[in-house]
Amino acid sequence: MPDAEYNLTPSDIVALGEILDRIVPEIDDLPGAGTLGLAHALDDLSQHLPRWRKALIIVAEAASLDPAARAAGGWPALEPDEQVQSLKEIETSVPQQFNGFVELVYAAYYSDSRVHARIGWQAGAPTDSRWDLPPWDPSVLETARQREPFWREAPE
Amino acid sequence: MELEKVDILIVGSGASGAAVAWRLAGSDFTVLCLEQGDWIRQNDYPNSKPDWEIRARGEWHYDPNIRAWDADYPVNVQDSCIDPLMFSAVGGSTIHYTAHVPRFHPSDFRVKSLDNVADDWPVSYFDLEPYYDLNDEMMGCAGINGDPANPPRKPRSMPPIPIGEDGVRLAQAFDRLGWHWWPSDNYINSQPYRGRPACGCCGNSGLGCPNGAKGSTDVTFWPEAMAKGVELRTGARVSHINTDAEGRATGATYIDQEGNTHFQPANAVVLAMNGVGTPRIMLNSKSDAHPDGLCNGNDQVGRNLMFHPYAMVAGYFDDDLLTYRGPVGNMIMCQEFYETDPSKDFVRGYSYQVTRSTGPITTACGFLGGPLPWGESHHDAFSTRFGNSATMAIIGEDLPEPHNRVEIDPDLTDSSGVPAPKISYTLSENSRRLLADGIANAETLLREAGAVEVVATELLRSAGWHLMGTARMGEDPANSVVDKWGQAHEADNVFVVDGSVFVTSAGVNPTPTIGALAIRTADYILTERRDLATDR
Repeated sequence: MPDAEYNLTPSDIVALGEILDRIVPEIDDLPGAGTLGLAHALDDLSQHLPRWRKALIIVAEAASLDPAARAAGGWPALEPDEQVQSLKEIETSVPQQFNGFVELVYAAYYSDSRVHARIGWQAGAPTDSRWDLPPWDPSVLETARQREPFWREAPE
Repeated sequence: MELEKVDILIVGSGASGAAVAWRLAGSDFTVLCLEQGDWIRQNDYPNSKPDWEIRARGEWHYDPNIRAWDADYPVNVQDSCIDPLMFSAVGGSTIHYTAHVPRFHPSDFRVKSLDNVADDWPVSYFDLEPYYDLNDEMMGCAGINGDPANPPRKPRSMPPIPIGEDGVRLAQAFDRLGWHWWPSDNYINSQPYRGRPACGCCGNSGLGCPNGAKGSTDVTFWPEAMAKGVELRTGARVSHINTDAEGRATGATYIDQEGNTHFQPANAVVLAMNGVGTPRIMLNSKSDAHPDGLCNGNDQVGRNLMFHPYAMVAGYFDDDLLTYRGPVGNMIMCQEFYETDPSKDFVRGYSYQVTRSTGPITTACGFLGGPLPWGESHHDAFSTRFGNSATMAIIGEDLPEPHNRVEIDPDLTDSSGVPAPKISYTLSENSRRLLADGIANAETLLREAGAVEVVATELLRSAGWHLMGTARMGEDPANSVVDKWGQAHEADNVFVVDGSVFVTSAGVNPTPTIGALAIRTADYILTERRDLATDR
């Protein structure tokens, strides 16, 4: 099994793009995560967190070893429903790592400015985006204040 | 080189160590605090970075086993259903707490007398009340008086944090059901306070506050304590407490960041590393006088570990109120089910801490649980949740059980080679029933508020924020470690001031109670233990 130092090959990246499209498919006018070109981002992002890197390598390797994919000439050659089935089998065989991989995909996808535009998220540091909540209004306590004290007394 | 002896040596700079240091500052006592972590510069916090959500899942994770800084120590959690969460830096775990700060109730100190479970505390709510007030004043408490679920008290430092439209929606649902609710008490500034700014409501205060609006002790107690002469030595990892032939503490041995070992002599030692760190160091401090660990002649150190087992119930709404606006853990509190109800199949009770939502990555990956579904159903699941959720966290009273404990792992060590702790913890049947009741009532509330979908997590593994009970206080030296002042039964110059001393856990976040107990112990030292001051 390749270790965390393993560098993804060009064919790994192609397969990863297909995998990403199955994990986060297209929505509205936004293509899937793979077609958005996030495979390289995934590779970069995984370097920040060992458990993400490990998950990426394990899932990429599992996809490359899928018997159906090998018979078809590679994972990208599978039909979309076969790809989904392949991923479900990987999820069953290595659930913890697959969850880590899905987290990594979501981290890359929801870091993308095109996705932010679609979901209406203001990117950037939280400290750059002060939210103006309506000021505290004591009148919301009108009902709660009518209740008699009910805290339980206790012996000193 | 021999280090200069101090009167009071505090180990740990978080909620309790900082409070003790501040209270003793400016007195006749010389005070030194050893902290294994460093100061965190405010612009280093994730909330000042665009990739804050990614940092939160790795280098700023709540869990020291994932974060794995050099200053952290690993914890063996193989035999625990809950992972302990903590932070090693100046300010301790107040760096990453959400600053939700309700007080214990009077009944929480008398559970044996009232409900015939566990033990009564050797102090009462009203013994602690003035110290709660002091701690609130220093930390800056936003809130409002008049809560019928709690005793009357002094006015808070400032008005509540705004509860937002999402909070009002839930408040109205509580009102319709006739259930108690009240705006949360928070150590977060709703207006400028003691030189710190008001909260910008930017979101996840659990990742540290870059502008200082959240009351973590690095920005509250420490500046004043240091201005009055207390020394805070960072990067100083205590390995054990040294004792003399009679078993009294003589100081502490620590390892600096270069790996050099030092002995810091002191007239007294105050342990302030909280419910896992304190028993760890006590158990690591074996000597001829304390062969089973410091003040552990009765085999009580490390036992009775209490977390607050958390269940979470999330409600998803369809009105796009953008529920990620505002401090994440600090909206509304409910104590309708706080006390023992004889009609139920469990004793004691729970609070609801109603929380907001957070950013898109955290929404997709799961705040504390697993990720959302992948594939064709992903986008629907995401849009249902993102900016549309409110979560009711159930904080249930966890009763002490001796088999839930902290021990020393035979193999695991921290980056300095100091033996690390092992946690054994199982969820009691009482807690399981209590959480089930909390889940059912939370679903009722969320449906009443208009949630279109409700999802419960029955027990959150990564939720050991509250670490309590492992060096508990009591009148009887046979079954407790310290007395009502936090002074060890087996060594009169060893004090414990953190969550370790809790006799029971109550059903609320513990930080104000930790601070109050710590200040009370400091006052005891100031008034009753003048013998610990060196004549100069």
